[in-house]
Amino acid sequence: MAGIILSGITKSFGPAQVIHGVDLQIAEGELMVFVGPSGCGKSTLLRLIAGLDRPSTGTIALDGRDVTALPASDRGLAMVFQSYALYPHMTVRQNLSFGLQNIRMDKAEIAARVAEAGRLLEIEGLMDRRPTQLSGGQRQRVAIGRAIVREPSAFLLDEPLSNLDAELRGTMRAEISGLHARLGATMIYVTHDQTEAMTLADRIAVMRAGRIEQVATPLELYNHPANLFVAGFIGAPNMNLFAARASGGVLSLPGGAELPLPGTPAGADVTIGIRPQHLRLAQEGEDAIEARVTLIEALGAETVVHAQTAEGQPVITVLPGQPPLTRGEALRLNFDPDEAHLFDENGQRIAR
Amino acid sequence: MTAFATRLGAAVAAPFALLARAIDLPLRGWQRLTGMGGMAAVFLAPNLAIFGVFVLIPLALNFAYSMTGGTDILLPDRPFVGADQYARLLDCADYSRAVTCREDAFWTAARNTAVFVVFQVSLMVAVSMITALILNRKIAGRGFFRAVFFFPVLLSPVVVGLIWRWILQRQGLLNLIVVNLGFDPQVWLNDRLYAFAAAVGVSTWAHMGFYTLILLAGLQAIPRDLYEAAEMDGTKPGRVFRRITLPLLGPNLAVVLVLALIRSVQIFDEAYVLTGGGPGTSTLFLTQYIYETGFASLLRNPGLAAAASILMAGVLVVLTLAQLALSRRAERR
Repeated sequence: MAGIILSGITKSFGPAQVIHGVDLQIAEGELMVFVGPSGCGKSTLLRLIAGLDRPSTGTIALDGRDVTALPASDRGLAMVFQSYALYPHMTVRQNLSFGLQNIRMDKAEIAARVAEAGRLLEIEGLMDRRPTQLSGGQRQRVAIGRAIVREPSAFLLDEPLSNLDAELRGTMRAEISGLHARLGATMIYVTHDQTEAMTLADRIAVMRAGRIEQVATPLELYNHPANLFVAGFIGAPNMNLFAARASGGVLSLPGGAELPLPGTPAGADVTIGIRPQHLRLAQEGEDAIEARVTLIEALGAETVVHAQTAEGQPVITVLPGQPPLTRGEALRLNFDPDEAHLFDENGQRIAR
Repeated sequence: MTAFATRLGAAVAAPFALLARAIDLPLRGWQRLTGMGGMAAVFLAPNLAIFGVFVLIPLALNFAYSMTGGTDILLPDRPFVGADQYARLLDCADYSRAVTCREDAFWTAARNTAVFVVFQVSLMVAVSMITALILNRKIAGRGFFRAVFFFPVLLSPVVVGLIWRWILQRQGLLNLIVVNLGFDPQVWLNDRLYAFAAAVGVSTWAHMGFYTLILLAGLQAIPRDLYEAAEMDGTKPGRVFRRITLPLLGPNLAVVLVLALIRSVQIFDEAYVLTGGGPGTSTLFLTQYIYETGFASLLRNPGLAAAASILMAGVLVVLTLAQLALSRRAERR
């Protein structure tokens, strides 16, 4: 198992620079998730680590060894592709054995490793089938099995669950998590799905436009997003963001509401962020954000309420249970000051 | 521009619209009479008529000719001889030696064709494969080279034959180069071995672009992920080719192999223009034998030529069935 250190990584394809100076340390045995919107460079970064592409500048170290110039095959890493990339003309057994035969491993050892992977992933019964005879979930297991048998120093997983249906995705997510716990291997997992990121990761690197915006544990990202992008990207539904004017302990919202918020800077334009789960119905006489209900999504245990302020600003709140609300109804919302996030004019978090 | 295009389109469409209106009423009447099945017959009829006139009827006539004797061209003037022509073609004391056969030219041509097929098809598959592999890489001027390799396919076989005769003849381009390099000029097309090799090489040159295209399409259909997975698996290039590229190219290779085989058996025009079958009978192939027996020789024998062509068609049918079987097997995988 190996730690991975990226230093000053950039990558350009012709005139287009897609990775802008990434520095990152991944600890041995850690499950690191790269998350971000499409085109943010997360898969490119993974391919650079894999050795399928070369960085334009910067170095990649595995276990303290500089591998930047090494070909993919000499890095001792295994990759699970989004498309699974199983060899369609080979049986499951042959798919699993292929990489081991390449290094001329002893036949008995190959058979033992393939059997072990089969047992671990519960695909023993599929060994003589071709990939076309497997379901999506089974193919996914074989793809992971192909990585496992090589006993790599780290696993690289490129959106491995994106081709599965929602239910199977949930099951496989739990299995990958269990696998990580059992193998204790370093894993880098690329996804655009923040639920996958939050549930799987030891730490998450949130990426945007070729840069890492924040690296932190899932809860740290949720509780203390470093900037507006991370605040908006992590958490569902998205965080409510309001432009506001701070004046020493009091926040003036565009609608005229004045909310006491300790720790606000004096005389500054800020953005206040409140998670939908942290907005609650205001008490009588309390200063509040006023809005009208536009849509109600009753999920049973909770109700997602979409509303709009008089200024046209959308507000989303998640209320517990099944509150008796109707469309068009006036809503007064408030929040606990401790759960509000403040961002300065540049979108960076203001520590309070 | 757009307005012009619209007007042009309308002008082109006008006569067709007129035609459609003219046949609309009779077709409706026909449909009322015969139902939908009758309509299918209407639309199939033109194609069937062409197929019948140019393929089915000649095929039947050819078979009828093979049962007749004499030198007359018109079928009613020719006496019926049954299977005599076939018997004459197949009359051999020792099938391994053409001279012991009654129709020795036929057996010489058959043997030449068999040897030609073995060498030409092997060369064709190998050269097309290598070319496709190279053209599939990210090389400079890839589009240009793809066009260059395909270009000979567009040439008339006669033009191909003439070009290469001009290069290979006694005072041709090749000898000019050979002499300039300080060697003695060779009579390429008057040497049995060189002439045969030239026929193999020239026909390969002329058609390889077509097969390269089929293989290139197959190569491009192999997902890049598989090669990257193989790269992660530490697979050496030779093994990638043997274990991944070749098996996944199987269906395309099967098509190329059998199409090349069928075309190779039918070799005629470019080789005939290039060598005329010579020197002696060293590049005499089956189709040339049929052509000369039926039309070009002094004592033309259309019946014998027809019988020979039926025998050759039999071989081609076997090869075509093999093609179908091969591609079906490839599809099942």
